Amino acid sequence: MIPLTWLRAWEVGVVQDISGKPGFVSRISATGFSLNTEVKMIRNWKWGPLIIFLRDTQIALGRTEAGNIMVRKKSESK
Amino acid sequence: MKANNVIVLAGQPNTGKSSIFNRLTGSNQHVGNWPGKTVEKKEGAFKFKGHLYQLVDLPGTYSLTANSAEEIITRDYIIKKHPDVLVVVVDASQLERTLYLAAETSMLPVKTIVALNMTDIAEREGRKICHEAMGKQMGVTVIPMVASKNIGFSELLEAIKKSVENHDPDERPIQQEFEGEVLARLNEVKGLIKGLVPSPFTEDWMALKLMEDDREVREIMRKRLGPDQCLHLDKIINNGLALLVADSRYKWIQKIIDASETKSHDTKSLLDKRNKFDKVATHPVWGIFVALGILFFAIVAAMSIGSLGLPFLKIVSLASDGARILLGPGPEWLSSMMADGLIVGVGIATALSFFLMGVFIVVGFLEDVGYLPRLAYVFDLFMHGIGLHGKSFMPFLMGFCCNISGVLGTRVVDSWRQRLITVLLIPIIPCYGIWAVVSFIGTIFLGVKTPMVVLALLITAALHLALTSFLLRRFIVKGESTGLIMELPPYHKPNFKTIWTYAWTNEKGYLKRGFSIIAMASFIVWFFSYFPEGKIETSFLASTGSFLNPIGNLMGCDWKLMAALIVSVMAKESALPAIAILYGTGQGLSSITGLASITSGGEHTHNELASILMQSISPESALAFLFALTFSIPCSATISVLYTETRSLKWTAGASAYYTLSSLVAGILAYQAALLIF
Repeated sequence: MIPLTWLRAWEVGVVQDISGKPGFVSRISATGFSLNTEVKMIRNWKWGPLIIFLRDTQIALGRTEAGNIMVRKKSESK
Repeated sequence: MKANNVIVLAGQPNTGKSSIFNRLTGSNQHVGNWPGKTVEKKEGAFKFKGHLYQLVDLPGTYSLTANSAEEIITRDYIIKKHPDVLVVVVDASQLERTLYLAAETSMLPVKTIVALNMTDIAEREGRKICHEAMGKQMGVTVIPMVASKNIGFSELLEAIKKSVENHDPDERPIQQEFEGEVLARLNEVKGLIKGLVPSPFTEDWMALKLMEDDREVREIMRKRLGPDQCLHLDKIINNGLALLVADSRYKWIQKIIDASETKSHDTKSLLDKRNKFDKVATHPVWGIFVALGILFFAIVAAMSIGSLGLPFLKIVSLASDGARILLGPGPEWLSSMMADGLIVGVGIATALSFFLMGVFIVVGFLEDVGYLPRLAYVFDLFMHGIGLHGKSFMPFLMGFCCNISGVLGTRVVDSWRQRLITVLLIPIIPCYGIWAVVSFIGTIFLGVKTPMVVLALLITAALHLALTSFLLRRFIVKGESTGLIMELPPYHKPNFKTIWTYAWTNEKGYLKRGFSIIAMASFIVWFFSYFPEGKIETSFLASTGSFLNPIGNLMGCDWKLMAALIVSVMAKESALPAIAILYGTGQGLSSITGLASITSGGEHTHNELASILMQSISPESALAFLFALTFSIPCSATISVLYTETRSLKWTAGASAYYTLSSLVAGILAYQAALLIF
């Protein structure tokens, strides 16, 4: 398991765990992140927020927030 | 049957809920605030086949857990107000995620219709959804729609009518079934709270919300449960349970999609289609250039629309002169009150309304095409420097044009805490009125050093923002800081009807609330600059200026500059006419009308004023004055919208006091520094 922030652009991960306060967990769940969700990293530069594609939606996510989401790296696809 | 049935619209943001609301109600709508909340409330009415229906647009929200005011308003309305029909809007092109809210409503006691919007985009992206199969799976009626193209409305209206007329008590809300561990825990919690749930909440819904660790529901139930039951509840509910509940909702959604999607799309081609412009727009370097380019055009466009109001300023000046002549024979205070107080006040408020309309149209456009979230994304890093996230960028930018539009622009910020902090920080941003004074005073006293002064002002503003934001976050507006979680919706072709409605409803809000307060504030400033003797030189304002002498001395400003600083509360640029009058060049102008004569009056007044000012004010004092002006209490119009947006006298008064102090400190520091440097 690695934090979501470790995925590089175009890598795919599967959500394993989401930690944080109840408010964060419920907000992030409602935007599409839940257990076993497949997520694709679209943008991950060394700085600034990430862009993630999941459930047909692009979500911009702060690095701190993304650090609370643990994923299993699935494959590399270009 | 009731003569007036209540229909409510709910949906996640960017599902086209507002388009549906606007098309149904047309101009027959009313925008206000939810009682005691700062969230916009849109209500309207529509007629169908001879029946009048009331339509309430619930705030756009991703879920129904008590994380924000929007979520609480939405669920409270559905539970406590018993609307006749709930229409949940979902986006066919982002079905999986937007159905989440529909899943959340499944436990609520209300008849539900699902509006499957944007089916055209879904089809273009290669997916086809059978709405009948979807409806069968969910246990409710599903209406395919393209709200932006007016497709699907008659079917929606028929469905609403049928649902309202149908008295079958078995007609149910959306049905979601739970299984496995979630079902087991749900039953366990239900058993625990049985008979203790206050009306009108249902046991099912309360149990589920307890499993999600919902703040509000937990508090309601803790008061009713005994200590042993509370302990038991804590044992059942652990951290992972909320995740399991969310997971069960997505599984249910997947079932619906599997049953109703007849043609699927592949992620790669979808991303390629959506990502073309985003490759550049969200690039860490090019994205900033794209943003700056778009913003440049946006500002030009807003200014061009706003400048349509400029001829109006001429009319104000003419009307003011007319009133003076017409009322000349009467008492002097009356003609001055009309000419310098009321007409000018109303004039400023009207000129502002044009300017704001320009800003609203441009922001509405950027929001409608879907660019605004990209802007927030690109500038997120910059905003992190002052402890905020990207969504606060646009309001700040609007604040550079005019603090009022900046404060109103904070409506795009979704978390209330962050929005409040942004609202309270906006007065630090120097608006166009301040730049007018800076360039005027700067060129007279500081000449070629003016660009350095501008730079110094900007750096001070940045430091001020960082410090004030820190103080606010650390000591005043406490609470959990919510980081950036923001949807980047697919780009859309602009829908001018939606943009116009957005701009016009915002403008109407300003005209209704802000306008009268701004006009009144101008009147009050006039009052204090006129009475008791009818001259600004001997007015209450002048006495206050003299009273402030001890502080004025520290910043090298005499009573006249201090009085000008006070006048600037009316509008920042009105410091100029005040200076002109107080230093004796604005002959015949008893107060604020001088604004027009200086900003548009031509070279003569300008040069005359310049030479007199050079004799009576030192460059150090001028610098101190500029700093004190830039970081001072916001103008009366901004104070008015601070109040209308925060709905709190406490915040408004607190911010005013803070920025008064900040003005004096900035003035004193600048003066002392100038004495050392110059």
